[in-house]
Amino acid sequence: MNKSGTSIVSDTTADAVALATGPVAGPRLNSDLVQLVIAITLVIIFGLVPNFVGNPYWTQTLQILILYASVSVLQNVLLVDAGQASFGQGAIFGLGAYAAAMAFGLYQMPWIFAVGMGLVGALIGGIIFALPALRVQNFHLGFVTLSAAIVFPQVVVILNDWTNGINGIIVSVPQLTNAGLFGASYLSIVITCFGIAVLCFHYALRRTRFGRRMRVAAASPEAAMALGISPGVMRSVAFIVTAIGIGFAGVMYLPIVGFVTPSAFSLDLSMLFFFAIVVGGRGQILGPILGIIILYFLPNVVFAQFLDYRLLAYGAVTLAVVLLFPDGIVGSFEKWRIKRRHATPDGGLRLDRMIADDLVPAAVGKPVTQAGDVVVKVRGGSKTFGSVVALDGVDLDIRRGEIHGLIGANGSGKTSLLNVLSGFSRLSGGTVSIKDAEITRLSASQIARLGIGRTFQTPRVFSFFSIWDNLRVGLDANPNVDAQLKKRAGALKGRLDTQSAEWLPHGQRRLVEVMRVVLQNADVLLLDEPAAGLSPEERVRFSELLKYLRDTLGTTIILVEHDLDLVLGIADRITVLDTGRVVATGAPAEIASNPAAKHMFVKARNA
Amino acid sequence: MLAELSIIAVRGIGIGAVYAIIAMSFNVVFSSSGILNFAQGTMFILGGFAGYMVIGESVASWPLWLAALLLATVIVAVVVTVQGALTLMPLKDSVEQHSWLISTMAVSVILTATLMLVQGPYSWTVQSPIPSFTIFGMRTPAPYALAVVAMFFWYFVLRWFLNKTLTGLAISAISQDMDAARAAGLRVRRLQLLAFTISGVIVGSAGFIVAPVVTLSADAGMRYVLHGFIAAVVGGIGSNGGAVLGGILLGLLSMFVTFQLGGAYQDILSLVLLVAVLMIRPEGIFGRSSARRV
Amino acid sequence: MLSINNLVSGYGTVPVLHGISFDVAPGEVLLIGGENGAGKSTLLRTVGGFISADSGSVSVAGREVTKTSPEDRVKAGLRLVLDGHRIFPEMSVFDNLRLGASKALGKDGFEQAVQDIFAVFPILDEKRRNYGRDLSGGQQQMLALGQAFVAQPKVLLCDEPSLGLAQALLPSILQFLRKWANSGTAVVIVEQHLDIAREFADRMLIMERGQMLPESA
Repeated sequence: MNKSGTSIVSDTTADAVALATGPVAGPRLNSDLVQLVIAITLVIIFGLVPNFVGNPYWTQTLQILILYASVSVLQNVLLVDAGQASFGQGAIFGLGAYAAAMAFGLYQMPWIFAVGMGLVGALIGGIIFALPALRVQNFHLGFVTLSAAIVFPQVVVILNDWTNGINGIIVSVPQLTNAGLFGASYLSIVITCFGIAVLCFHYALRRTRFGRRMRVAAASPEAAMALGISPGVMRSVAFIVTAIGIGFAGVMYLPIVGFVTPSAFSLDLSMLFFFAIVVGGRGQILGPILGIIILYFLPNVVFAQFLDYRLLAYGAVTLAVVLLFPDGIVGSFEKWRIKRRHATPDGGLRLDRMIADDLVPAAVGKPVTQAGDVVVKVRGGSKTFGSVVALDGVDLDIRRGEIHGLIGANGSGKTSLLNVLSGFSRLSGGTVSIKDAEITRLSASQIARLGIGRTFQTPRVFSFFSIWDNLRVGLDANPNVDAQLKKRAGALKGRLDTQSAEWLPHGQRRLVEVMRVVLQNADVLLLDEPAAGLSPEERVRFSELLKYLRDTLGTTIILVEHDLDLVLGIADRITVLDTGRVVATGAPAEIASNPAAKHMFVKARNA
Repeated sequence: MLAELSIIAVRGIGIGAVYAIIAMSFNVVFSSSGILNFAQGTMFILGGFAGYMVIGESVASWPLWLAALLLATVIVAVVVTVQGALTLMPLKDSVEQHSWLISTMAVSVILTATLMLVQGPYSWTVQSPIPSFTIFGMRTPAPYALAVVAMFFWYFVLRWFLNKTLTGLAISAISQDMDAARAAGLRVRRLQLLAFTISGVIVGSAGFIVAPVVTLSADAGMRYVLHGFIAAVVGGIGSNGGAVLGGILLGLLSMFVTFQLGGAYQDILSLVLLVAVLMIRPEGIFGRSSARRV
Repeated sequence: MLSINNLVSGYGTVPVLHGISFDVAPGEVLLIGGENGAGKSTLLRTVGGFISADSGSVSVAGREVTKTSPEDRVKAGLRLVLDGHRIFPEMSVFDNLRLGASKALGKDGFEQAVQDIFAVFPILDEKRRNYGRDLSGGQQQMLALGQAFVAQPKVLLCDEPSLGLAQALLPSILQFLRKWANSGTAVVIVEQHLDIAREFADRMLIMERGQMLPESA
């Protein structure tokens, strides 16, 4: 933007110019919008054109294509945005279809009521899928959903008395299928609108606070919890919301085909929805549509005489794509486009300056409550893993507004203590309280909401987000964003929204995490070996930044760090741990001369 | 009543042995590479098809039967090995470590489709050369007994192989500590491929042996992969002893359900068992290795 | 025997080694010290092939192995003993040794090598049928070294042999490494207890923040 912001952090010399590198007129980081436009155009063409041509076969085939593609879009949301691999969405589709068909075809309820029944049926399916997802992930969840897909048609047959079993149900809805507006049937219009709505939903979801938090939870449950997000809630919501959409698609399938049997919702259907994403490109807006065209449309229409080979084609195309283009068709194209046009960010990017210049001033002004009172208190904290004692009767007091160093040899319990403080593990005995609230039994996300932020040994920076979105998830977790912070953050957006986080060097990634925590409005920061991997110059700047945060925001910083020079240089007090016990606590000078801790400061080179 | 119970017991243990064998073949691959081969059920079916395609559906003579057994085993072993090579390929340097979930599923679909093209959607009924025998006054088809024999055979062979032979020890070593195994110079990739081959041998031979008493149709593979997986989960993934117990338990349960409620309820009850075990005890009833809890 | 030239590596985007160079001669024991997080383990893991080098080279006995897998490096005569006495817990002491053995050794050579190990660490002989998990940390470290010994490497890399061990055990382990080197093997030891380890080494280098400090003999 401009270089007017006076740099408080470290030197103001030549590299301040780096700030002037401002908004790069770079390429878009993702082509979501372009993909959305292409996808919507395709849906409109597929949905409406055949009506005017007046070919029932094409009308029907393309309507089904749109429905399948819509289901795949929702499966894409589930798989990529929420991180849930389900092989059973065909069963949800079937639940929607069957619930509506039974209501309308067998029990003669009004159509609109049948639609409602279909949605309820799918919703119940979504809840059933969400339950195991709370407990298990990956292939376990894959197998559960897979078996649900296998079992669904069997259940329909077993419930013969209510579902008419293998004989199926006839569903004729003439008021929908007859020609309506301008020669297009209402059905075509509804389906086209639904396809567009689903695509817009995916596009918009990614641009909402909720969508970003969902993606964070999918990519890194730990980072999500540190931002106050409960990954289980995110998963459940994803299953339930997508189930409703998929259920609607199932309901609309009825008037198209006019007849349902259990075999229409076999495992193949679930596979089609899943494979379409893989082939089209996981996470790409346009991916599912392309995937359905390749896996459903081409075999059924263009190669109709080879219909028997359809299943073979599914499998073969998918396998080939996994092996040759693991990112799928759209994804591979995207990767190539970004690689070609996007240079690695210039080394001059000074995120530490941005924290000092843009973020902190916005956050200053809130009262720094009585510095000096105890903000984190551990009493008799012990933690055992099986027979291994990680923490053994730890007493710890952290005062407000201090930088407190936790040091000790490998395995002394530093990281265990940090994990206990942030709720990632629980004490086996003793208590922890933060800001007078007892947190011993709270979950990590509950603790995060109390204003405790943490960073990780490996920075949790998400390459699918721009740098700005990586920061924004911090702002998303901030319960009271005031106008000033918003404005200041907006300034960052201009600079960082077009920069991919993928090629950020490590030192900058570390700073992204710190900026995120600042935006989160956390007043207690837990830093897990933040200097690891930083160059000597970066270490100096980083220490300056921490001091700056303490002095201007009154942030309490708890620092686990191996670099003793750094800790001695910035810490107000230091606690030394050895085999899970506190062996010394005090000011750096006291610690350096304390016999219990002395050996740690005997430098290797002086040995 | 007693007659029914003995049928449930005999056939339940017999079919349970099949599930146990599939579960053990899962374990071999899983413990060496962390991959669960979704195509294992189709490979099982392929074993039955491959053998009986040669000798036909009618009763074969003993030598012919043995030759067909060998042939079926070799064919499946080769197919699984090729599949293993394909599956392991993208794992080398890919960030996407879960590509196997999709690639093994895709292979399963490809095989199912191929069998469907060759055989049509009908299920085969094939004859065993060994006559039925009588146990507890029940005439029982021999393959049930053969399945139990095969289960114990593979259990003990795997036990011996993984604990006594140098190659087997190397595969065990990978599952115990991958980095230490590589530091010791073990050819990890080659051993993982070998584990695929072994799983193919196990599941291919089992598929042939029990073909007369199972549904031998192109699309039945998914059912077997699921039941094998459930047996493995119930027993604790990675443990062959658990696989045997889990398989038998599942077999008895599904036979009981079949007799009490009807065959249509089998899969549903299996799914309920799977979900119940995963919700209550994800590491399996008999197992120590844990499912990823979150 | 081992020649490292301007090695750069790290984890993903985290750079750890910023250009490391050193040589080790046959029969030499090189001790590498430095603080936690200085990059010592990363150095050994890069040399062992577990982390791929971004640039620079690693050669064993004149053969460049920079791009090869850990398995191939073992074959080339480079053996890394990981930190934390990593052995195979679910198999016997003897089977652990069997798995480590070099094929070139032959049956008699292997038995001889095992006898040599048992002579130095008699406790391993006593517990030869016990599972690895039943050994104490110190015994596991002995076994890890024994497993490397039967590979008969030209270059041995040993990451923190003292980790998790009673300090009293360290001299006997270092003594073993010293003797081993005397038979012509190049030995690199990463260690924190420099005061003890120093007596057994020919040379010492100190790492700091991913760089090797200039040698101060």
